Amino acid sequence: MPTEMTDEEIVRRTLLDKETFVLLIERYEAKLGRYLERLGVGIPEDREDILQNAFIKAYKNLNSFDPTLAFSSWMYRIVHNEAMSFFRSKHARPQIILNEESEILITELQDDSADASLLAEERLSRKELTRAFVTLPQSYRDALTLRFFEDRSYAEMSDILQVPVGTVSTLLYRAKRALRSALPKTFSS
Amino acid sequence: MTPTDQKNDHLAERVFERIESEHVTPRPRWEFIAKNYLFWALGALAVALGAFAFSATLFEIENVDWRLSAATHPNFFSFFLAAAPFIWIVTLALFIFIGYVNVRRTKHGYRYSLVVIALGAVLTSLTLGIGLYAIGFGGMLDETIGTHPPFFRPILVEERSWWLAPEKGLLVGQVEKVAEDLSSFTLRDFLGRMWEINGSNLRGPDLTVVARGGVVRIVGLPVQENLPASATSSVFHACFVFPWEIRGGLGNRQPPPPLAAIASTSEKNTATVRNDVCKNIRPYQRLRSIDESGL
Repeated sequence: MPTEMTDEEIVRRTLLDKETFVLLIERYEAKLGRYLERLGVGIPEDREDILQNAFIKAYKNLNSFDPTLAFSSWMYRIVHNEAMSFFRSKHARPQIILNEESEILITELQDDSADASLLAEERLSRKELTRAFVTLPQSYRDALTLRFFEDRSYAEMSDILQVPVGTVSTLLYRAKRALRSALPKTFSS
Repeated sequence: MTPTDQKNDHLAERVFERIESEHVTPRPRWEFIAKNYLFWALGALAVALGAFAFSATLFEIENVDWRLSAATHPNFFSFFLAAAPFIWIVTLALFIFIGYVNVRRTKHGYRYSLVVIALGAVLTSLTLGIGLYAIGFGGMLDETIGTHPPFFRPILVEERSWWLAPEKGLLVGQVEKVAEDLSSFTLRDFLGRMWEINGSNLRGPDLTVVARGGVVRIVGLPVQENLPASATSSVFHACFVFPWEIRGGLGNRQPPPPLAAIASTSEKNTATVRNDVCKNIRPYQRLRSIDESGL
């Protein structure tokens, strides 16, 4: 099967031949698995269950896919909603561990900081950053994760989180501010 | 390769197993299209109903005579509580909210901000409401719907009840017959009772209203006279007469005043000479200024 097809093309073909859907699963399973991990679904089995449900939901609702959106945004939205349902149904708290992501976040916070040299000197440990990150409200974590770890544009974030683009910028601004104030004082000052 | 990756290798297989075993098929496109249109339709319907509510709100605001509140109520606050169209304002707000919720649930509804949708719904409701009010729908709605809920009375019925209180010096009714010199006239109130109105204290603006006929409101005093047992009407001493025109309704225009009759009473046009009987009524100065400026 031609793998250079666009997502939208695969969606069209899947409606005629369901086997084509495997291309979308293969294309997105790793990416979405990492996304779930970043959202705080710590156990691999849980991630797989969520992914299974998400792909089945996507298949069932393929006809509602709007080609004016990116398929990836649509798929991220489904996975995000499934993850939130998972946390709600299990009464589980997200288990967030920032690894290489912490560097990206530090860089971002440095860029926005008035005194970058201070931040450079005061290197944060991943543990400290994770501790501050988990104290943020879910909506702030979602915004930071999508923007800095998943590298999504504002428009894509709007489609994933189903909020206006203006709200995305506000969320990001507030999330960064909240993260700074949740960090140790020497860093946030 | 991590255990997660190994499991993911089989993800497609597992998804297909479930698709087969649970007989999952893509839902037809028309379902999504219909759902989307349904939300738009519900949103539009709610905004339209909000417009109806606003037309009734406008009708109530237009037809409540705020300037005469001092004559009908002890203070403005009690008048405000009695007259403000709370039920219609709440109805308007409710439908605008329903409209907002439904538009948000459409396919791309999330892309519009709360302000844009709310403002759009409010402005659409208000604009349509003004149009409906202008064609007389507000009054019709207020009258029709208003008679059904037990906790609500249409504003016109409410206002009639304020003015049908001769013991408080307030009277409302239809001018039936006017004396040639306009010194008295007959009035049929909304309960069907006939009143002989003494107009000797009326001035130019009041007489214009009387001469014009139609429905009028009178501020004055009931007269306790020894009427013969055969008398079919009561007597009322009028100090001020105000017109009662229903605004925002259809076909409520009253005929122009008979100019000759008013001209013949021109000597009464100076509003300074009402006798002491009228000067004692409350709130004399306020009513006098309203009378002179015209309603």
